[in-house]
Parts: sequence; structure tokens; C-alpha cells
Amino acid sequence: MRSAFPFERANGPDPAALLRAQVERLVSMERRFDRIVPVSGEIDAVLPFHGLPLGCVHEVQSSGLACSIAFASLLAARIPASEGQVVHVAPDSNFHPLGLLPYGVPPERWIHVTARNPVELAWTVLEALRCPKVCAVLAVVKSADLTLCRRWQLAAEASGAAGFLLTDPGARPAIASVITRWRITSIPAAAGATFAEPYWAIDLAYCRGGRPAQWTAVCREGRLEPEPLSKSPRRAGHAVADRLAV
Amino acid sequence: MQRRFLCLFFPRLMVDRLEREQPQRAGVPFAVVGEERGRLHIAAVNGLARAAGIQAGIRLADARALLPGIQIFLSDFEACGLLKRQLVEWCGRYSPLAAHDGADGIVLDITGGAHLFGGEAGLLEEIQTKLREMRFRVRGAIADTPAAAWALARFSRQVIVSREELPAALDPLPVRALRIPGEIAIELGRVGLTAIGLMRQVSRDSLAARYGPNVLLRLDQALGLAADSIVPHPPPAPYYAERSLAEPIGTTAAVEHVLAELLAALCTRLDKEHRGARRFDLACHRVDGSAAYLQVRTSKPGRSITHLLRLFSDKMDTLDAGFGIEVITLRAIDVDAVPPVQMALPQCGESAEGNASLDELLDRIGLRLGFERVCRFRVRQSLLPEFSIEFAPAAGAPAPNAGWPSHRVRPVRLLDPPVPIEVSEIIPGKWPVRIRAGRQLYRIVRAEGPERLTPEWWREKSPAWAVRDYYRVEDESGARLWIFHETPRAGNAERWYLHGQLP
Repeated sequence: MRSAFPFERANGPDPAALLRAQVERLVSMERRFDRIVPVSGEIDAVLPFHGLPLGCVHEVQSSGLACSIAFASLLAARIPASEGQVVHVAPDSNFHPLGLLPYGVPPERWIHVTARNPVELAWTVLEALRCPKVCAVLAVVKSADLTLCRRWQLAAEASGAAGFLLTDPGARPAIASVITRWRITSIPAAAGATFAEPYWAIDLAYCRGGRPAQWTAVCREGRLEPEPLSKSPRRAGHAVADRLAV
Repeated sequence: MQRRFLCLFFPRLMVDRLEREQPQRAGVPFAVVGEERGRLHIAAVNGLARAAGIQAGIRLADARALLPGIQIFLSDFEACGLLKRQLVEWCGRYSPLAAHDGADGIVLDITGGAHLFGGEAGLLEEIQTKLREMRFRVRGAIADTPAAAWALARFSRQVIVSREELPAALDPLPVRALRIPGEIAIELGRVGLTAIGLMRQVSRDSLAARYGPNVLLRLDQALGLAADSIVPHPPPAPYYAERSLAEPIGTTAAVEHVLAELLAALCTRLDKEHRGARRFDLACHRVDGSAAYLQVRTSKPGRSITHLLRLFSDKMDTLDAGFGIEVITLRAIDVDAVPPVQMALPQCGESAEGNASLDELLDRIGLRLGFERVCRFRVRQSLLPEFSIEFAPAAGAPAPNAGWPSHRVRPVRLLDPPVPIEVSEIIPGKWPVRIRAGRQLYRIVRAEGPERLTPEWWREKSPAWAVRDYYRVEDESGARLWIFHETPRAGNAERWYLHGQLP
């Protein structure tokens, strides 16, 4: 069919529609991150969402997985219990909810799934993220491509659940697209500290719409208290990755 | 209501099975050989072998002498049993009460159902035609009792017998038609009682005195004077839906469409009766008489159509339609009471529907990965790390938890079993300074402990432990571990283990 205006492109996109779509995308981006949980005062000040946004997928790296599980459950514990259960998906069952008790998620809120292979794991994470009675999913993943990440992201957006992908920094490049990427490293504790209060170097390696930042903090009674790095750091920071290949 | 039974007799099931496997076998004489008391004898023969004079029961050597080129197959009772089971399930389309009747027969309770197939004659005709199309040799008969139908199918030309005609129809049949042991039948024949009619003329007392009460019971069962029953296979499911299709179907979408209708029928009924089922069995009967089965289980009795459809469609790709599916049946098993729930208002806190969605998630994961791979946790009253937490099945209500003393620091990852580690430079009575776990070396700069855990002798499954001393250690880079050593027994070196990782 010929157009009435010969100079108008017959099949070209309508510029007004393009602009509308762009505006809609921007607005929905803002709306997408309107539900947040606080991390801690200092960290929230740096995050562009003023907290950790729910309804999206985050990556938490740590060597040996112990720090990332503790950090992720610390954040999951701040989602009200009425919003549902916390699902943990892993290839093994070396999971001990009693050790996670100080990080705020009681044993009855956990559901643990042992996945035998990456296909089962990806499917389970997707199904769990879609469930309205699941508030957070912690998944121990080796790698995930862009398509898989996008599907998880869409599922999380639809249900409002938060996804935490727990990875080992040794397995780079691992996760294609996430909203935030954290790197947690355990650092030597200050003198006189007990083992119930772990010291962490927290590295916000990537944050969509924000800047990377680093902190050191101690986790006391389920709260992150920023701790300036002690006077004589024996070996601080993030060079201590690639540990604990047990 | 007068009950009616249809009995099918497969005179040569073993031969039929072999010929159905490879149709060209019908062109050569062959025999099926069975072993009895250490000697091989012919159990069944096909038509060509019979024409050559070989009969069932003779020895294999005699058969070989008569026909040197005869093909021999060993009897396979397992395969025959499987085929028979398929046949019984195939017969389920004519009556839900279909049962095995010896090794070579099937009996159906067709009470009140024959008119659906054009009366008893039409029903019998249809079953026999279809079975013959599937290349089974079959004879059927309909009578008032299973015993009489059994006798008529095997020994009579009369195939449909009404109540009034029954005694007259049974009278000329041989006494073997009463399902009595062979030796008793021979003894009856010796005194001249060769037919059922002759037996009925003799006084019952003398029959019972000579041949035992069983003979009288069999006679009464055949005539409908004593009770007789059949054991249906599969067991009758009161919650049952069935759809016969005009044309065979073969696509997943078509099967799902029929399944949705069947589920709707079944779940509506369950809903009305405030019940739910834990298991749903779908049977797809193919045109060639075989069947494909799908089964879904749920952790709680349920009746949600959308949920069950999703569970089935997750498994649908395993279904093999073969040459097409003509009958689909659905049974609800493990039916239990499910009280109706109040529908929640939005923004009203805890809603039953939301909890249902969690159960549905657990069902789907459990069905795909195995229910043992989905678990919740129950805290137990034990300080031993292996026993302090129980992996409880995720289905059902959350289990009550014992309390946990908060001052006991535990690892977030507990290695099962503990990993042996190499240690050196042990501070006497304390922890080691150097640890090697796998290829990783640690230099310990800080430690807490010991926390001594003694084995719980009252626990039956308690491993043969020694006393364990646990330490929390930190290496110079900040990695924190949970290690222990067992107090050495006589003659053993002290051994150290890594049991977990602390954040």
C-alpha cells in the first residue's frame, strides 16, 4: 500500500512510539526498584536505590561460599517473614541452617533443594523465583549465560523475590548480567573479637546506575557495622580470593 | 440386579505372543517348551505343528522325532504375564471390573453395561473382533456366574446363556468344566459321572463324602447357588474418568486437551465432596492394545486443575503415543478429605492461596528432581553437628523445632563427611599452627576452643566416635575454619579433620 506522503518511510518505526517506549522503560526502571531492604547506613548511602532492591538478581562472590551464604542470608532476613520462604539451591547438601541462625533466617524459613546438574539447578531457581510465597532464592551457581540471567531477572521482577547467585570468584567470567555484584572476603578480626562476629571486606564490584565502592565491616547480631580497617592490617582486602578449594 | 459375567479364554496365549512378535513365525511349525520335574515337554504348539501331529504335553524328544525341523522356544512366563496384564487393562474399557482368571483367561463383570455396546451379543462380538484383529485367538462367553462363563468359554458352543437356560447349558459339559482338580475329575469319570448333568442327579451327601466339599462348592458356584467373586485389576478406583476417542490421537496438545476434560470431571467431583487426591494415574491406551502411563504425586491431597495440568505437562514429553491413543483413563488414588478453605481478601495478611502456591512449587520440584531432594529443616535436641539438624521432607506442615543455644557458634557450611587434614606444629594441648586441607595451606594465627562434644551413647545410629574437641581457627588471611580432632585411642595417631567453614 502506498503512503499518502511519499517521503514517509512505509515501515519505519513511529518516532513518537519510540519515545513513549523509552519513557516507559525509564519509568518502569524506577518502579522496578521501589521495594528495597536496607543493607547498612553507609552502604545504603552509596547505592542509587538507597538500599538493596528486591525483585531482581544479585551476585555475591566469595571464596569457599561461606561468606556469600552468610551475607545473602543477612539480606534475605530483612525481608519480612510474611513474604515467604527462603530457598537455597545447591549441587551439594553441605548446608547448615544452625550456622546461619545468627544471620537472621531461622531454620523453619529455609527450603533446601539439591540439584544434580546445572539444568535442574537453572529450572529450580526459575520456578522458585516465580513462586509468590518465596521471598528470596540463594543459588550456588558455576556460570550463567545472558539468556538464563534474563529469564531469572524477569521471573524475579514478576514475583518481587530477590535472587542471590552465590559464586566463586575463581570461576570468572561467571554471571552475565546482574543488578549488583558483591565480593565478600573474610579478613582478620580485630584483637579481642570472637568468632561469632566475622570481619568482612565488602566490595561492591558492580552496581547498575551506581559506582563501585569498598568497605570493611563486622557483622554483629545480624547487623553490619562498618569498621575502619584496623591499625595494622595483616593482609587486608581482596587479594585473598581463591582460597579454600576443599 | 442379576449380575452378568463375561469370560474370555485365550487357548494359545504363548503361541499368540510369539506370532505377534514376529508374524512370519506363523509360517513355520514351532512349539513352546516348558520344564516340569526335570523333563522338557511341549507346552503349546502352533497350527502347523499341530497339523504334524504334535500335541501339548508330549516330550520334546518325541516332538523332535515326529518333526525334526520344528522350531523350539522356551516358555517365558514373565512376558506372558505382562501381556496378560496389558490385556486385562485393555479390557478395562468395557468394564471397570476386569480381572485375571487363571493364566489363560480374563473375566469381566459387565452387569448393567452391555447395552452401551449394543447388548450382550454386540459386546461379545466387539471384544472378540478387536482381539482377533490384534491376532489373539480368543473365545468368550457370557453367563450369570464367573464359573459358568468360564466353563462355557472353554467347553461349550453356546456363548450367551440366560439364567433360565443355565442348568440346561451346563448339563452336557464335562466335569472338568467345574474347575476341579484333574485327579478328582478322573475319579468322577471312573464311576461314570462324566458330565455335570449326571453329577446333579447324584445325592449331594454322597458326593461330599467321597470327593470332599470342594466339588459341591464348585457346582454351586457355577449354578449361582454359592457366592463367587472376582478380584479386579487394577483395583477399582471410585474416582475414575474415562474418554474414548472417535479417532486415535498422537499429539501432546491433543492428549493435554483430553486430560484437561478428564481432570475437570474428576476435580469437580472431588470438590463437591470436599476431597482431594495425592496421586493421579493417567493411562493412555494405544490402538495396538498396549498402554502408556503417567503418574503424578502431590505432597498434600489436592484437586486444583491448573496445578495438576502443569504437573502432567512437565512429564508429557515422556509419553509415547505409538500408533495413536484411542482411550484415556484417569484415576485419583489416595483420596483424602480436604476441607474447603476460605478465599482470602486481598491485603489481608496470610492467605491460604499463597500457601497453596508454595506447596505447588514443592510438588513440581519434587516431581522433577525427586521428593528426597527438597527438604526443610528441623532442629533436634542434640549438640552433635551431624544430628543437630534433620533434613525433613518439605511436604506438609513445617515441623516443630527444638531450641538452639545461641552462644554455640556453628559453621554455615558443614562438610559431610569431615575431611581429613594434615597438621603440623601443634601447640601442646591446643590447636595446630599449620594445616593442609587438600592443596590449600593455612597458617593459623587465632583460635577459639576447645568445644568438647562427647558421643551420645543412647543414640542407636551414633557412629563409633571418640570424644571430639572442636576448634574455630582463623588463618593469617582471615579464612575461618571449624576443625576437630578425636582423642586418640590406644595405638592410633591423633587425627584431625576439617568439618566446616565459618564466614
